[in-house]
Amino acid sequence: MSVRFGETLAALVRHEVDFIVVGMAAGVLRGAPVTTVDIDVVHRRTPENVTRLLAALGELHAVYRGDPRRLVPTESHLLGPGHQLLTTVNGDLDCLGAIDGGKSYEDLRAAASELDVGATHPVCVLELPALIEIKRRAGRPKDLAVIPILEATLDEVLRGSSSGGGSGA
Amino acid sequence: MDGDRDAPRINGGDYDANGVDRTQIREMLRLTPAERLLRIQELVESIMAIRKLNERPVR
Repeated sequence: MSVRFGETLAALVRHEVDFIVVGMAAGVLRGAPVTTVDIDVVHRRTPENVTRLLAALGELHAVYRGDPRRLVPTESHLLGPGHQLLTTVNGDLDCLGAIDGGKSYEDLRAAASELDVGATHPVCVLELPALIEIKRRAGRPKDLAVIPILEATLDEVLRGSSSGGGSGA
Repeated sequence: MDGDRDAPRINGGDYDANGVDRTQIREMLRLTPAERLLRIQELVESIMAIRKLNERPVR
């Protein structure tokens, strides 16, 4: 398996899936020098959007990660708030029904904005202030460890914005 | 974080009070989001290649 995060996002865009990139992939897209081995997305849990997501996941040959039965995600899985941890031909992809104590796509949408990631259309990515707050509330050592980097990135973005540069937090 | 400007420079980096190297952030911010994604992708592929090498039985 080769890792092609851009191709994964492009497939979701091609199938017109409503989703928000969250987690450390959002941090990377926003300019934080952090690492991640998967893409986390929160998808809109309407039947229509889940149908589109299933089509995209089919194209990506998504199956549950670490499960030797190679089970594929179903509509009922994706309509729920749970976390579907998948592996695809392009690398690992986590489809999260809700994060941060039950926040859905609709709850998070205002804290996200679109970025051009090289797909046919822009992709919705969580902004740094929201990502920092979510990491703070999660409170696990691995979440707390990245907060100084995310905060420093936000600081640099704001400094860039105030001087006319910058690329959006 | 205005005090960051007084943070020490170590090995050419520009570290803030939390030990974060601001030069890495500025370098990332100079890239487009698509380029940032490619960079992380290359890094993950390197990690996976190392993991694969480590899976080989020791002779």
